[in-house]
Amino acid sequence: MCGISAVIGNENVVDTLYESIRNLEYRGYDSCGLSMIRDDRIEVRKNTGGVEEVNLKEHLTAMRGCIGIAHTRWATHGKVTAANAHPHLSFDNRFSIVHNGIINNFRCLREELQDGGVTFASETDTEVLVHLIAIAYAKLGDVEEAFLSAIRRLEGSYAAAMITSVDSSRIYAVKMGSPLVLGLNQGMNFIASDFNAFLPYTKTAMVMEDGEYAVVTVDQAKLCKAVDRSEVIRDPIHIEWDPERSRKGGYSHYMLKEIFDQPHTIKSALTIPNDDILQLAKSIQGAGTTYLMGVGTTYYVALAGQYFFSRLAGRYLPAVSSDEFNDLAVIGADDLLISISQSGETYDTNTGVRHARAQHAKTAGIVNVMGSSLSMMVDQVILQGSGPEICVVSTKAALAQMVILLLVALELGRLNGKIDTQTYETYHESITDFPPLVQKILNEISGFVRNLADRTAHYKNWMFLGRGVYYPIALEAALKMKEVTYLHAEGMPAGFLKHGTLAMVDDEMISLFFLPPPARKTLHEQTLAAVEEVKARNGPVIGFCFEDDLLAKKALDHWIELPVVAEPVPPFLELIVAQLFSYFSALKLGRSIDKPRNLAKSVTVG
Amino acid sequence: MRMKAVILAAGPAERLRPFTETRAKPMIRVAGTTILEYMMEALRGAGISDILIVVNHMRESIESHFGHGHDLGLSIDYVIQDPLNGIGAALRCCEAELGDEPFLLLYGDILATNFPFNRLQEQFQESGRAVAAVTLPASSADFGNVYLDHDMRIVGLVEKPKDRHLSNHVFAGIFLLPPSIFSLLQKVGNDIEQLYQALIGKGALYGNLWDGGWIDIRRPWHILEANRLMMDDWTNSRIHHSVRMEGPVHMEGPLHIEEEVVIGAGSVLKGPCFIGRGSYIGNNTLIREYTSLGPGSTIGYGTELKNCVLFGRSILGRLSYIGDSVIGERVHLGTGVATVNLREDNAEIVMESEEGQLSSGMRKLGAFIGDDVSIGARNVLAPGTRIRARYQVDDLITLRTVL
Repeated sequence: MCGISAVIGNENVVDTLYESIRNLEYRGYDSCGLSMIRDDRIEVRKNTGGVEEVNLKEHLTAMRGCIGIAHTRWATHGKVTAANAHPHLSFDNRFSIVHNGIINNFRCLREELQDGGVTFASETDTEVLVHLIAIAYAKLGDVEEAFLSAIRRLEGSYAAAMITSVDSSRIYAVKMGSPLVLGLNQGMNFIASDFNAFLPYTKTAMVMEDGEYAVVTVDQAKLCKAVDRSEVIRDPIHIEWDPERSRKGGYSHYMLKEIFDQPHTIKSALTIPNDDILQLAKSIQGAGTTYLMGVGTTYYVALAGQYFFSRLAGRYLPAVSSDEFNDLAVIGADDLLISISQSGETYDTNTGVRHARAQHAKTAGIVNVMGSSLSMMVDQVILQGSGPEICVVSTKAALAQMVILLLVALELGRLNGKIDTQTYETYHESITDFPPLVQKILNEISGFVRNLADRTAHYKNWMFLGRGVYYPIALEAALKMKEVTYLHAEGMPAGFLKHGTLAMVDDEMISLFFLPPPARKTLHEQTLAAVEEVKARNGPVIGFCFEDDLLAKKALDHWIELPVVAEPVPPFLELIVAQLFSYFSALKLGRSIDKPRNLAKSVTVG
Repeated sequence: MRMKAVILAAGPAERLRPFTETRAKPMIRVAGTTILEYMMEALRGAGISDILIVVNHMRESIESHFGHGHDLGLSIDYVIQDPLNGIGAALRCCEAELGDEPFLLLYGDILATNFPFNRLQEQFQESGRAVAAVTLPASSADFGNVYLDHDMRIVGLVEKPKDRHLSNHVFAGIFLLPPSIFSLLQKVGNDIEQLYQALIGKGALYGNLWDGGWIDIRRPWHILEANRLMMDDWTNSRIHHSVRMEGPVHMEGPLHIEEEVVIGAGSVLKGPCFIGRGSYIGNNTLIREYTSLGPGSTIGYGTELKNCVLFGRSILGRLSYIGDSVIGERVHLGTGVATVNLREDNAEIVMESEEGQLSSGMRKLGAFIGDDVSIGARNVLAPGTRIRARYQVDDLITLRTVL
């Protein structure tokens, strides 16, 4: 997902243009740039990083002009580099373009242009379009004709906006597949990926439809069909809403949106090229000690990974919290550090990676934000492709990271003969079938989870208990609970409880159990034993269990039952339910769900 | 965005008898206000002033109360649906009036603490697609359970799941629909459920999640739940300056007391409670949480009221007890009438109805008394009693003249 924006006015519009692209930053933020026309020349400034960061580097707001286009990028394919950042400029420096979407046939167009002698400045699909326009203009001598003849050659989905030094009074835009809207105001007009770009300036807008193009001047917006240039008459609409709300698309909070987005993030994790997974597995195989490192949620992701590697690959990979890494880890040139971070800008994690690099250790990273410091610093990077995560509390990114660690553990298990091909394949199948199942389950249990949360939200003290891999799941679930409800929630191994903490249990401290499927007999029995220990002290007990778990249903006061699923997905399923449970608990308590007090999305300080 | 709203209010709502014997369903009053008025206030707040109400059953109860809505700053038109042949057909009755504009559709029996009209409008404007408000009720069993995709597209609908254990989001009875649905509706024989299924099949219906208070008033005891829902949303008291207290009165919790109310000495009011205009509360009465007294109520000396809704203009004799009950308009209760709202064995209360016995899911439930009923002194009403409108019950006198 990327965001594009264009502004035309009677005076310098740079502040407006800059503001508009900042308002689209939620659509992606790994690089950005602006093009403006000043004295009949196009100036382009762009670089990698978030909008503010690029402004610091490139002084975007020092640009001048009455017309300009801007772009903020979220790379899915192609590296994050300044050259790949938009806007792009034609070889004759007369046209500049921003684009959101994918041009499917860009490779053959690129070859054709290269054969014709055009030199490309970037690896992007977008650049072919701007050169095509320049060539067409040289032939036709009319900007609108040239723009149309170029876009008629494109296959794929795109929304694009273009300015040209040949005529600095018009912005050209086209929509096919990707979103594009026009914003209309006296003396200033806008084109953007969505309304958020210009809502602070105007509430009058027009939604473009597929196959339409627009020619926008300072006092007019003409909408035509690309196929025959026939003009489309459409009444402008008046927008009356809160821009923040519109981005949530029908959800009341990003957290819930992101929880519901998890089938997609799991799917994205499954499309990571197997070569990348295999390469990381081989690195682990060849390394002395491999550390898994993360902090906060990602530390719990690492802890879950620890269980995957020991059970599936027979390897103990110590998981270390990033902030303790330098003091604890003994790392040398033979060793490998796998660090996990959503933003790739976490100070503690990046410090750990620097420490490991200083010891000449090999480094790898599992990161969501392409082009982030961490992704640039490590020897091997796996990009999880979960899309922007906006809620401060991580849900979808964390789950994707766990799935990726599981995939690596499976690969390593097969490499070193710990699991046979049959198991490997069944596990893979089970994960592949997981996304649609998650969608279905999220739908079918929402009400039960909300009812349970409503019923228990008055408890101030919580224990989250699990054994085996359900222990890190309990830890992560407790952290979610702490983050969104501000309640005291302590994650602990269920077996550890009786060695001290049990003293705290009374009828005002509630315990939430993560029960493994009954098929995991020993683990299951041990977890149930802990349920009885709590009950014997009058502690309320609730839990997540599977449909066939009659014993758990007998033992627990209240429970959420889940359909029986094959290994290795049961712990993931319980984590998802726990996320939903934290969400509904926070909703009941009226908390600030997307921006909990005292917290920030990426902690870039030590 | 200028758009019209359609409110469906034609049905006979037999399940809400005795109250719907004498009024259209949305004229039921909770926390002092009719359902219809809550809707209209919210519509006006969302900038929607053109309202089309589909009427038939007891239509004069609506028309005489609201007229064309000028007092409320609205423009109300009425469409008569005759015969009463379903929601789809009701919508078709409005087709000509709606013209070529998208419109908001409201079912006449739903109540929300804050109707999400603006959110639906926003989503519709942005996507151009039909939007349905969806919500998570305490139990999804009686509703159409929807399946949502990650982007809120509705991908499935299971109507009233029978054997399946589901707790999905459900349709909240509020829709924003484009005019193009009419041709589709015609194609599916004006069947509203098939219309929804057809839209879902085309991927053209999106959800908008409502996580505030919401209730669908289908059974008499839902009136009490709705009353509680609306009162729980109150944050402060509103007591009109004309209210007169004839001596010490104890008050706590949020209280809404309208003009010209007189409260006798020694009374105790524990909010949230509503007391409508011109009501008289006798000495030493106890009015407890979630009581709503409609305008012109008269409560006799020493009476106790708890969690009950009186539509208005009723007279409750002295030394009565009314709990967990709903009482229509112009009801007369003699001295010492008592509702029994709890079974001795503490079991769930079952209500007799034309469809047989109905489980209320409640352990405490009193009586449901229709308009213009008169109940003589000293009667005791069993849990879950329903009394049809205009019924007369004699005084319960055990001792007659002895010579």
